[in-house]
Amino acid sequence: MSSQLAVPSSAAPPERRRDGVARRAAQVDAPSIADAAELARAAGAARASVAAAVRGAGGQRLRRFLLALLLPVTALLAIEFSVRGGLIPANLLPAPSQIVDTLRDLGTEGLLGHIAASTVRVAAGFAGGALLAVLLGATVGLSRHAEAILDPTFQALRAIPSLAWVPLLLLWLGIDEAPKIVLIAIGAFFPIYMGVASGIRGVDRKLIEVARLYRLSSFALTKRVLLPAALPAILTGLRNGLSLAWMFMVAAELIAASKGLGYLLSDGRETSRADIVLAAIALLAILGKISDTLMAVIEKRALAWRDSYA
Amino acid sequence: MKRRTLLKLTAGSAAVAGFSPVSLVVAAPLKELRLDYAYYSPASLVLKRFGWLEDEFKPDGVQIRWVLSAGSNRALEYLNANSIDIGSSAGLAALLAKANGNPIKTPYIFSRPEWTALVVRKDSPIRTLADLKGKKIAATKGTDPYLFLLRSLQTAGLKRSDIEHVSLQHADGRAALEQGKVDAWAGLDPHMAASELESGSRLIYRNVAFNTYGFLNVREDFLATRPAEVARVIKAYEKARAWIRANPSEAAKILSEEAKVSLPVALLQVKLRTDFSNPQPGSEHVKALQVAAPILKDESLVKADVDLGRAISELVDTRFAQPLIARS
Repeated sequence: MSSQLAVPSSAAPPERRRDGVARRAAQVDAPSIADAAELARAAGAARASVAAAVRGAGGQRLRRFLLALLLPVTALLAIEFSVRGGLIPANLLPAPSQIVDTLRDLGTEGLLGHIAASTVRVAAGFAGGALLAVLLGATVGLSRHAEAILDPTFQALRAIPSLAWVPLLLLWLGIDEAPKIVLIAIGAFFPIYMGVASGIRGVDRKLIEVARLYRLSSFALTKRVLLPAALPAILTGLRNGLSLAWMFMVAAELIAASKGLGYLLSDGRETSRADIVLAAIALLAILGKISDTLMAVIEKRALAWRDSYA
Repeated sequence: MKRRTLLKLTAGSAAVAGFSPVSLVVAAPLKELRLDYAYYSPASLVLKRFGWLEDEFKPDGVQIRWVLSAGSNRALEYLNANSIDIGSSAGLAALLAKANGNPIKTPYIFSRPEWTALVVRKDSPIRTLADLKGKKIAATKGTDPYLFLLRSLQTAGLKRSDIEHVSLQHADGRAALEQGKVDAWAGLDPHMAASELESGSRLIYRNVAFNTYGFLNVREDFLATRPAEVARVIKAYEKARAWIRANPSEAAKILSEEAKVSLPVALLQVKLRTDFSNPQPGSEHVKALQVAAPILKDESLVKADVDLGRAISELVDTRFAQPLIARS
């Protein structure tokens, strides 16, 4: 029975297929104790194999997680013992335990306010930069004419380092929130613009020709062909843009900030507190990782339809 | 026995014997002496201009490297990072750094300045310290003007949280004040003098006692292993100090050219706001720091468990320069 079930119905000869169907029908009508036992055994085996698969996947995930922790934990322990043993001066590199104490102290002195201020700035700057980048990137991607006009200028502006914008933004926009958000938007803009433009430009010409054969409208063409085909590049651009938004945020908060993780970092710097500097860096790393993970989840969901290798 | 093996054995036995790495490098000849120069330290500008240190160390083949400090915060950061050996800062800023682990000592006082005050625009309605409540005030963190601001506010019963502090480097603070982006600024000369004379800015609060001297700081390890070189630097500073006292107008001209400020601004800083008479660290300087120190704890600029009294005594070296100053 099991051998017959293993043969796909389309592959079996017609008479055998009919024969098998009749036999299975008869078995359904009059199930024997042996069949019931076999079914129970099969169900048990299936359950066990599913559990093993889940356990295997879970175990693999746990193993990967532990491997990912190996390097940072080893490094932190090495630093801890080196500082405590006097091999590394504490004024240059405080022990991780001291940084934890500093974070605890900062927690009672409005650390959440600093985190919130930075997160709001990143969110606002990223949103503004992304919106502009998607619009201009799409324009450049869809039109060779627009590309010829806009792209050379954007490529030149892309080469300007974040800190070079600081004195200009101070001069033009003052010292409140505007220059900070604009600087973060500048940081987020370029990778997203590049992702959108190159994503659209990289869409397979044959797909567009097929869409034209089907007489799809411009809107339908964009929605059903261009967007899905360009989506991987766009999402990669958005993810890179978010990473850069966090980096530019630190530069932005050097512009006369009175709150935020960048401010906290420079505060530690100006008062010779390496522990505060490292605490701020650790928080930036954690927040950056959290936001990147969220973007990765969104990317995975949005691209679930793809039949890709990994 | 190979030379490398011998070196390893020597280093190993030295480590076992309990020598620090510092004591192992004592014999190495000095190749480069790294100092800062700053617009708030006219003596450093005079030294740099006349090349007296270069002349002093040239026979020994020692290069002199000058690094600009935009403020005490930068000088102290460079010292902490071992990017310079000797650097100029305000006294209280040096104490703040020392209390937070910066390995420095102060064997020499380069000036007794009144280099900071609280400044507002000429048309500002702000008249008193009490008027600063809730206002935006620019000041450079980790410097005398910032600490002056905190101490000044304290005299009016205000705290850091009662104002909105805007962290800007000194020159940017001046620009922000004059452009109306902040309500007040804890200024530093020569920027403050320039703002006064060129833009009509007003000093609403002055207090010479809250200006905590110009400290010439040396990295502890450098002072311990290179006392002769530090002594030669102090002698050169003494030469510059004597020259400034004899030629204040010429010193102001050097400041004017280096800092790119007008001559009247430089004259105001050198002649009227800087006293070059007492370079020997002593009880006067220790007492000034003891009086000022509590603000560091009140405003949580140092850890709660830091012993500031000990930090002061470890910072101010009252003996090192005595024979050098007595001879000058």
